[in-house]
Amino acid sequence: MKSLRFTKANKIGAIFWAILIFIPLLLPDSQYEQSLLIVCFLFAIMASGWNILSGLAGYVSLGHSVFLGIGMYTGAILGRETGVFTFYFAPVGMLAAMAFALLLGSITLRTRSHAFVIITIAILLSVQLLATNWVELTGGSNGIIFRSPSWARTAGNTPYYYMFLVVLILTVFLVRFIMNARLGAGFVSIRDDESKAASIGINTTQYKVIAYCLSAAPYGLAGAIYSQYLGFLNPTGSFSILISVYLVLAALVGGKGTLWGPVFGGFFIALANEASTVFSGGISARVLIMGVVLVLTVMFVPQGLLVSVGTMLKKRLAKDKTVEFINQAAIAERDAPLNLSNVKRAPSASKADSSESILQVTDVYKSFGGVKAVNGVTMDVKRGSITGLIGPNGSGKTTLFNCITGTYGADSGIVVFNGTDITKMQPWTRAHLGMGRTFQITKLFKSMSVLDNLVAPLEKPSARNMLANRMQGEEVERAREILDFMGLSSFEKSNVSALSFGQQKLVEFAQILMLRPDIVMLDEPASGINPTLIERLSKAIKKLNEAGTTFLIVEHNIPLVLELCDYIHVLSAGEIMVSGTPEEVRNNEAVIEAYLGPDTLLEGLDV
Amino acid sequence: MSKSALTLKNVFAGYGGGMVLQGLDLEVRTGSITCIVGPNGAGKSTVFRVISGLLKASEGDVLLAGQSIKTLSPAEILHSGVTQVPQTRALFPEMSVKENILMGGYLIRKNQKLLKERMAMVEEMIPIVRERASQPAGHLSGGQRRMVEIARTLILDPSLILMDEPSLGLDPKSVALVAELIQRMTKDGRTVLLIEQNVRLGMYLANDGVVMEAGKVRISAPAKDIAGDPEVASMYLGKTKK
Repeated sequence: MKSLRFTKANKIGAIFWAILIFIPLLLPDSQYEQSLLIVCFLFAIMASGWNILSGLAGYVSLGHSVFLGIGMYTGAILGRETGVFTFYFAPVGMLAAMAFALLLGSITLRTRSHAFVIITIAILLSVQLLATNWVELTGGSNGIIFRSPSWARTAGNTPYYYMFLVVLILTVFLVRFIMNARLGAGFVSIRDDESKAASIGINTTQYKVIAYCLSAAPYGLAGAIYSQYLGFLNPTGSFSILISVYLVLAALVGGKGTLWGPVFGGFFIALANEASTVFSGGISARVLIMGVVLVLTVMFVPQGLLVSVGTMLKKRLAKDKTVEFINQAAIAERDAPLNLSNVKRAPSASKADSSESILQVTDVYKSFGGVKAVNGVTMDVKRGSITGLIGPNGSGKTTLFNCITGTYGADSGIVVFNGTDITKMQPWTRAHLGMGRTFQITKLFKSMSVLDNLVAPLEKPSARNMLANRMQGEEVERAREILDFMGLSSFEKSNVSALSFGQQKLVEFAQILMLRPDIVMLDEPASGINPTLIERLSKAIKKLNEAGTTFLIVEHNIPLVLELCDYIHVLSAGEIMVSGTPEEVRNNEAVIEAYLGPDTLLEGLDV
Repeated sequence: MSKSALTLKNVFAGYGGGMVLQGLDLEVRTGSITCIVGPNGAGKSTVFRVISGLLKASEGDVLLAGQSIKTLSPAEILHSGVTQVPQTRALFPEMSVKENILMGGYLIRKNQKLLKERMAMVEEMIPIVRERASQPAGHLSGGQRRMVEIARTLILDPSLILMDEPSLGLDPKSVALVAELIQRMTKDGRTVLLIEQNVRLGMYLANDGVVMEAGKVRISAPAKDIAGDPEVASMYLGKTKK
């Protein structure tokens, strides 16, 4: 089904390119139409480039045309100095734009906030100021004027037409490559849930900077050509905030986060722009029309025209589709095989194999404002054990998890994992070292299918791994087998947000197994899961544990904890109250008082 | 009063990927605690979405005390006295406990006198509301948060309260407190419809039990019968039942 749709899309794409290639050949007198299409191409290029950062990775830039200006000026200045046409420097323009993005991104993308949007506007305006005032280099506000090529009279716009078309085709293929690669899945995972992405091995800072650089590349390429096409350039025209707004509008109208949406939107906005100039004249009419387009888009097709039409068609087709229900009994009975090498590292990979404890937490403190959530915890998890961490709500269990996995840094204290001090490490490095964790309230990537969620984790951060196609190869096979083991095979293609809470819990457990973790930290794995599946879950935990995986489990289902765990730590008010075997913990007076409550409260109920 | 507070008749509903509810019939007696159990993904939460109007049934009917509410908007259904305590964290963490509860009373915000009366009623029923009134909700423990979530729906003085897994994520002591509150709520004639994965807890709390499977009601019986039903045990409880 999926491959069929791809080929259909490919066919439409090929026809689209063919028409554009043949227009100047079949209609030699179409100079006006060609100049119009050149603007369409430029907008489509910019909207597609913007889409890489803002559509896929979710970081909205409102000053993206700064990279067009960089490309224009790079081409223009080099052209002026060497005396050749600016478009020869298109590759240099591209590198300049990417280098500028790398510099900016390394500074601004470390943070994770809406400040980025404002910063992008500020950058655009400051670069414009710089171009105006650095007169020796840029010619100041007078700009730079170029001589036209000698073929300009006879060939007209046609050579430019093909230059821009080539850049557009390259851009679309770049976006397509990214979307099919694991890199693109990483971008989308950042958009959906950045802290979750970090916890499954995705170096979010690096990914965001890469997204920024890649999204700048087409601008630099197009910019150097564009300056020659215009024949002159000046700071206000090259670093225009209006162009930045138009290209965002283009991506929104077409559908951001999709391959063809921004291309379609670019054509739409360029043509609407031209129409408003021709039919109503005046720049204010143009701004009004664009405003109306924006309002209509947000109100009626918030996901973009292409996406909305696609959803409508799909809905019509899906009318008679049946819903998959989990077959509880079958899952409980079934004993799917699991190739352990799929969920376990080779022994040599985890160093210091001999040491007795896999995780040592020493004197960890973490407070929020005045609340001491974790108040000096020292705790030890034995290699190969199933260790429980229980305690009343608000006793600091999840905060301790977050300190161990690096979601927050601890205020003080040391965390040692597999013999390595990981206290200061980023969450993704900890994941690469073999640490996997689930969340109390599941964090799955809402816009992805179950299978996409499973292949999202990045076990090893190599470039080859990042550029590999995410839907082919060993990773996908591994994901399928783990899904089968967890009894989730029939949901492979379902979007995770269509799954119930309990099903999502199981998907998240399956997801972190893709990291081949040495330690699996589960935050309330059984809550919201019905008894049959709890049994399945407990079977899975035992099986993985027999093969050597260590578990650290936060759970309120006491019978399950007592059944599974070899050793239990009880946390209360941020401190370890008691540690011991299940037997010792169950009979401890203090634990009964603080946590379990007197038996009489719910007589006969093993809650 | 053995009248039915809520009746669902042959309801079909889905999200565009097909029908999740496939001809569901359900009857909830006035003043009862009715508990829905069933496998993950059987459509339990979807039943709640249909009742509260967030999802429209494409076939069948939903009756609230005999009146059809099938075509009403979510706000109108709230007005008719149906409130919901959602499955996962829904308090505004930066707002104080009192502000959170007042947000629950948004519908009656213009009637300050009524709002005050209701607040007093809620405070009496759930003392923590008064004790922690000015604390940010984000500082409460899980059990306390659940109490405040319940308090927030009570301010509308609902006749039917929908609760999606009230025990989710709570420690055993808090579960006991929430369970006690749920039982207390029905003493003055309110009806509670709840979803619980913890079948033993659910059936201990409830008068009536409903077992759902694959978008339909499979069994509907007094709660104490369901807890002991061998068919339920094999289908749903697993084999750990001792």
